[in-house]
Amino acid sequence: MNDRVQLKTAPSKITVTDDVWVLHFPRFGEEGTHFHTYGMLTPYFKGLTEGRLMATLCANRGCPISKGRGEKWLPPRADCPDCHQPMVWQEVVNPIGTIYTYTYVERGGTGLEIECPYYQIDVKMEGVGTIVKSYLLDRKPIRIGDKVRARFRTGKEATHTCLDLCFELA
Amino acid sequence: MIEFKPGNLRVPRWTRPVYMVAAGTSDFRKRYPEKKIEELSMMAFRMLVEENGLKIDPLEVKGLINFACYGEFADHFQDQLLCEAKVHDYLGLDLLPNVGIKTGGATGGSALLMGATTVASGMADCALVLGWERMDEVKTWTGNYYIASAACKDFETRLARNYASYYASMARRFQEMYGVDERVRAEIAVKNRGYACHSPFAQQPGRHTVEEVLKGEVVSDPLRFLECCAMSVGSSAVLLCSESLASRLSDRPVRIYAAGGSHTLRTGDRRPMRILLLPNEKETDYRGLYKDMEKQDGRWPGFESFGATRFAAYMAYHMAGIGNPIEDLDLIETHDAFTISDLQTYGDVGLTLYGREQEYVTSGDCYLANPKTGKPGRCPANLSGGLLGTMHAVGATGIFQAGEVLWQLQGKYDKFHGDPEIWKRYGKTRPKDWQSLQVKDPRRGMAISHAGVGSHVVCTILEKV
Repeated sequence: MNDRVQLKTAPSKITVTDDVWVLHFPRFGEEGTHFHTYGMLTPYFKGLTEGRLMATLCANRGCPISKGRGEKWLPPRADCPDCHQPMVWQEVVNPIGTIYTYTYVERGGTGLEIECPYYQIDVKMEGVGTIVKSYLLDRKPIRIGDKVRARFRTGKEATHTCLDLCFELA
Repeated sequence: MIEFKPGNLRVPRWTRPVYMVAAGTSDFRKRYPEKKIEELSMMAFRMLVEENGLKIDPLEVKGLINFACYGEFADHFQDQLLCEAKVHDYLGLDLLPNVGIKTGGATGGSALLMGATTVASGMADCALVLGWERMDEVKTWTGNYYIASAACKDFETRLARNYASYYASMARRFQEMYGVDERVRAEIAVKNRGYACHSPFAQQPGRHTVEEVLKGEVVSDPLRFLECCAMSVGSSAVLLCSESLASRLSDRPVRIYAAGGSHTLRTGDRRPMRILLLPNEKETDYRGLYKDMEKQDGRWPGFESFGATRFAAYMAYHMAGIGNPIEDLDLIETHDAFTISDLQTYGDVGLTLYGREQEYVTSGDCYLANPKTGKPGRCPANLSGGLLGTMHAVGATGIFQAGEVLWQLQGKYDKFHGDPEIWKRYGKTRPKDWQSLQVKDPRRGMAISHAGVGSHVVCTILEKV
């Protein structure tokens, strides 16, 4: 083990149909694979593999909560829960944030693809209304409030899952 | 900031009162190869109809049942769909209607809530509520992955495949926000596992010390092994009925009120709200807390509290006429799947104000006998041994908790926990230092059934009449 967290996984296979990603979960070999769609959130997962953090926000001026100036949602959602109208995509540029809370995971359940131990972190980012759960590449001691910067697993390194977003200490 | 509209806060009004008259349970074990799930359910059902002092013959009691609500958390643990039909048939209840209910860890409480509404509405006069779980068909760490499927599959499950990690981040935030000494969490593990020593049903009773808990191996920092409940196998049941039937069946029927709440599965998606105030609270009680939240980038319910628990308690208190829970409740069963969830819950249900949960535990009021004063605790918690000490066979849990509260209100703790024959039934010997944990003349108690990181919660209040 070195001082940077590694993944123990091969890229998950995906099927692309009309720009939608369908992820393969091979539970019992090829025949037992589950085909899980990312549906309208596909731009988020695709964005990660291209090194971009894509969020959604409500731009509907008639929305009682956002009034058309909504904070970003991460994880994104395609439709606004407050006015039920479609949200719009926007990239989080310069994706840095602070650690809101964290845990040092000593062991995980069967099939965990992240090498233990590692920090699972919840990150608060400027302009984002939600708090993003992810993992930290660094293993050195951390505190709530520490600054972190998003990193991405892109190209051939991409897993096509939420693991393609991670953070490192800024 | 999201806000309620008036319709959202309508207090449930059942069309007629609902009563609980009997409870039954199996014992609980991490692995239970001796019995199939139907056989464990039969153990609970047999105790329900045969051992609760009901005034009519057990088979006649069965002849009164007209609806069944079954709780089972996870089909993938059982590896069986429609297990409800197998259990229903095994209990000899065909062709009566039954429904299966699933709300994660709150499955038992939700089954109870649904069973109560069938009686309240007149759909049924007598409803069986029974739950089970079999978590021993897979190895423990595969079981942990299965449970972590109750986190968001797209954005969370892959980040640990172990549910303790999702609670651990809440524990970290709660600890930092309120300056909690981790010895307080350890004390909860010691207390509840200690109470389990007096229960013949208990899976992991233990006389531990705070030091031992804190020296234990870490599962997900800061939570140690003894702060986490275990995989569990077993079944529990209660019988609900109308007022007229209750007096025919029992000399000690207990009235039931139940209400639920829910909140998004992903803790980080819980947007800030104003605190929903319970009958004993005022807006000014939280002036300081709101200021602290501003300083510490905090929010309510955030990672520190369970909004669903607060909502369920709000509704249940209004239904049952609870004005001040610390005065009006004589005992409580919390969902202590982890020590931190027990600690967090005291603020959610208003036994103390938010931010003072630590002081509430160290005050000794959550003990049967307050260790500080030697006097009775004001609202003892988890005398059953809780999830940490006794059981978390998930689909049965909320039902088991309510059954334990029922027996306390009926003054039957000793009958079901102290009888050496019951211990023998499960291959155990009653400990020489067994103690009665019967609360002295309790009038009201509450069971809290809780799912996910607070995704679904049902608060059930039982009241002696």
